[in-house]
Amino acid sequence: MRGKMLWNPVLGALAVAIVAVGSAEAQEAAQPACTAPVAPTGELAPWTTPFPLQAAGSEAGISSASLPVGRAARLTLLQTPQVRYALRPEKPGGSVSHGGLVRIDVREAGTYRVALDSAAWIDLVRDQQALISTAHGHGPHCTGVRKMVDYSLTPGPYILQISANGQPQMTVLLARLP
Amino acid sequence: MQIRRFSRPLLSAGLLLIISLSAALPMGEAPWRWTLPAGVSAPPVPADNPMTAAKVELGRRLFYDADLSIDGTMSCATCHVQKHAFADSTRTRPGVTDEPGRRNVPGLANVAWFTPLNFADPAATTLEAQAATPVFGTHPVEMGMAGREAEIGRRFGRDSCYRVMFARAFPDNGGRIDFSNVARALASFERTLISRGSAWDRQQLDPEAQAGSVLFVRDCASCHSGANFTDLTMHRLGPVDPALADQGLFEKTGIETDRGKFRTPSLRNVALTGPWWHDGSARTLDEAIVRHGLTHDAGEVAQLIAFLNALSDTEFTGRKSLAMPEEACGKRL
Repeated sequence: MRGKMLWNPVLGALAVAIVAVGSAEAQEAAQPACTAPVAPTGELAPWTTPFPLQAAGSEAGISSASLPVGRAARLTLLQTPQVRYALRPEKPGGSVSHGGLVRIDVREAGTYRVALDSAAWIDLVRDQQALISTAHGHGPHCTGVRKMVDYSLTPGPYILQISANGQPQMTVLLARLP
Repeated sequence: MQIRRFSRPLLSAGLLLIISLSAALPMGEAPWRWTLPAGVSAPPVPADNPMTAAKVELGRRLFYDADLSIDGTMSCATCHVQKHAFADSTRTRPGVTDEPGRRNVPGLANVAWFTPLNFADPAATTLEAQAATPVFGTHPVEMGMAGREAEIGRRFGRDSCYRVMFARAFPDNGGRIDFSNVARALASFERTLISRGSAWDRQQLDPEAQAGSVLFVRDCASCHSGANFTDLTMHRLGPVDPALADQGLFEKTGIETDRGKFRTPSLRNVALTGPWWHDGSARTLDEAIVRHGLTHDAGEVAQLIAFLNALSDTEFTGRKSLAMPEEACGKRL
């Protein structure tokens, strides 16, 4: 999946719904108000303990912006004009938006989930190609997980491109699914 | 203006002359050349915003630029996606503040011929005026720029290429970078969103679609009429329900008989623009057809859907001249 997601309000009851991707279009929607925050569990449990991470502005600087599997990061992004993406994002964001690059290293083949606290556009890039996601959805209600995108990955390095984020910081988590 | 004529290869001596002439002639006056099928006339264009190649080029770039939204996350193309015939695949789309959308995103195919433009606003009669609704609107908030009009000029004015593009597009007002000119450029680009390449246009309907077309003419074409399958008139299907959150045309006119009235949508590329209905509440074309209150059996509905599928124009949804531009001012974006 490549993309900004539109949560359909009718899916509100499916609080942790993640659906197979029939098209590359993502979905996003406003969530009902929360009375109290909820800590996610399972593979999303690291969400509540992010470590600080500065996103890279180009491939050249990406070695210092690594997100390990099973960890969450509080990511500091750059202003979009300062970012040189490996591939031009489908939604590049305006000059006042924020973005950046993060390195991901996969050691075991499997299905991996990228979770975000915003509706930023993401591309997972390898060999100058953006991967097609296998599913997308939103996170458990009131956890702060706004968007989740799944990919089927083989071992190797990947570039996670984040674009069109409205805020200069965001939380991102990478999890391997059972 | 003859800029294009001058672009042919020429001898070097002549080329110098051409360069000189081109520099002296405002690029913005280069005429727009419509590419239209035989028998199709150019759409109406406001006298105060004539089509030019420079305006269309600028409008195309602006259409895909998220700096038209408060936090740089939403462009026109965020909701109007080319592969969905410039609609999108969602019921309603929230804006930059996450306020839920009220109405389904309409496709933009052949929007140059539409007036009024919106589901239920008779005052939205020109593309130039309509552009303000998503950018500055507050019911609901879409791009969130209400009260920030001057910011639009500042943002684009920081980009040297935009300064050149506005100067070329609007030589009549010194290339002023403001929302008025943004809207004029967007409208010029939107008038080029012309879709006339469906199987129906080519008269290549398969037997089921052909049967569907007969049903369509009998049961649907009184409202879904004309080349774009819309009478551009507002109707109500079913009884009035004052409890509904969206009262349609009534919200603009205050006239009781206007409750629940919405403009007949175009059916061009309708199979690509789901979900359907003014609020996106019809998840399938079957459901949308049934809601019209007609009495078709399952076979007839299948035939109607075959006909509706024949209104899809894949050349339009893949046309590169309508896609996000790869470069501007000779540089990659």
